[in-house]
Amino acid sequence: MAMTMTGEVMLSATRDVVWAKLNDAEVLKACIPGCEELNKNSDTEFQAVAVTKIGPVKARFKGKVQLTDLDPPNGYRISGEGDGGVAGFAKGGATVTLAEQEGGTLLTYNVEAQIGGKLAQLGQRLVNGAAKKIADEFFKNFAATMQPASA
Amino acid sequence: MYDFTFHRPTTVRQAAGLLARNPEAKLLAGGHSLLPVMKQRLAQPSALIDLSLIDGLDTIEQKGRAVVIGAMARHADVAKSPVVIAAMPGLASVPGSVGDPQVRNRGTIGGSIANNDPNADYPAAVLGLGATIITNKRRIAADDFFQGMYTTALEDGEIIVKVSFPVAKKAAYEKFKHPASGFALVGVFVSKRGSDIRVAVTGAGSNGVFRVKSFEEALKKRFAAKSLEGMSIPATGMNADIHASAEYRAHLVGVLARRAVAKATA
Repeated sequence: MAMTMTGEVMLSATRDVVWAKLNDAEVLKACIPGCEELNKNSDTEFQAVAVTKIGPVKARFKGKVQLTDLDPPNGYRISGEGDGGVAGFAKGGATVTLAEQEGGTLLTYNVEAQIGGKLAQLGQRLVNGAAKKIADEFFKNFAATMQPASA
Repeated sequence: MYDFTFHRPTTVRQAAGLLARNPEAKLLAGGHSLLPVMKQRLAQPSALIDLSLIDGLDTIEQKGRAVVIGAMARHADVAKSPVVIAAMPGLASVPGSVGDPQVRNRGTIGGSIANNDPNADYPAAVLGLGATIITNKRRIAADDFFQGMYTTALEDGEIIVKVSFPVAKKAAYEKFKHPASGFALVGVFVSKRGSDIRVAVTGAGSNGVFRVKSFEEALKKRFAAKSLEGMSIPATGMNADIHASAEYRAHLVGVLARRAVAKATA
């Protein structure tokens, strides 16, 4: 089961600030929906634990988050692969590009996601919606980190 | 099965208390969404709180200009209820079209709405009639209740007690049923109550049930299938899977809306 989607979000910060945040483990941890742990293996590789809750399904994924194709400050590719034990697996990635615009930075993302195992068997009709929801939530959280801390 | 605690409270207050003390607990209504997921180990709640011993949660009654259905009323009971059939046959047809006999005899209105599966039938009726969801804490309007797939306005520890449907003069539900699961590939509920016209769609949107304002506007001029002639909705935001593309689903919304209006005005 695979799916793809694209989206964009306007951020009220300079491209350098956005780029820095995209590479900050603490920021990523706060933005990945359900992320419980995100530990740095290196500057571009992290170990992650995330809980995915979609309707009655609740699965805890352990896996890796990797940053590749780094092209500061224009963009990179963030990908993740998680093992949900008996639930199955999920993997996916997003190509993120940053463009300077008046008043901020336009972030464009191209996501593709794949699930397998029981998750796919049971969740087949929901994959698209679920992946979109998770991606939307991630970028919404990310946009929120651009606001001043008091907001 | 793995271990979990099974609670059988006899009042809503007890159930709410148990829920507050067990943050990992799940409420058990009909169990036809939760139990399959538990069997697959895709959810492992520490406790189940069974609502079936609570008295008075499954009543179906007419109260003034509304049909009030208890959260634990089973689909089969609502579909056969003389009260619902007399007041709004269009509403009775919704639980009557759910899944298979097993699901209809166990599944409940409260469970269906709280779960808010993007393909479930009841959310279309609740939104399509502008019903009010009554919980142990407050009353929530349908327009505020559904917040995207599997997401509702319900807070932690909140339990649906009943759902109040205002009686509409004209109301009907039409669905394109998935032949295996019985889920709505697309389902459209339309209603007319005075000048309040509603068109609610389930199954089609990738983010759950939604209203089609353009159809509602067209029906305000005249509540007839002809008013929707040639109308459809854009495919953006529609769900797509191996069963149907986004474009096909968008097309079905128009077709089923016309059929539902025709049925409601017949």
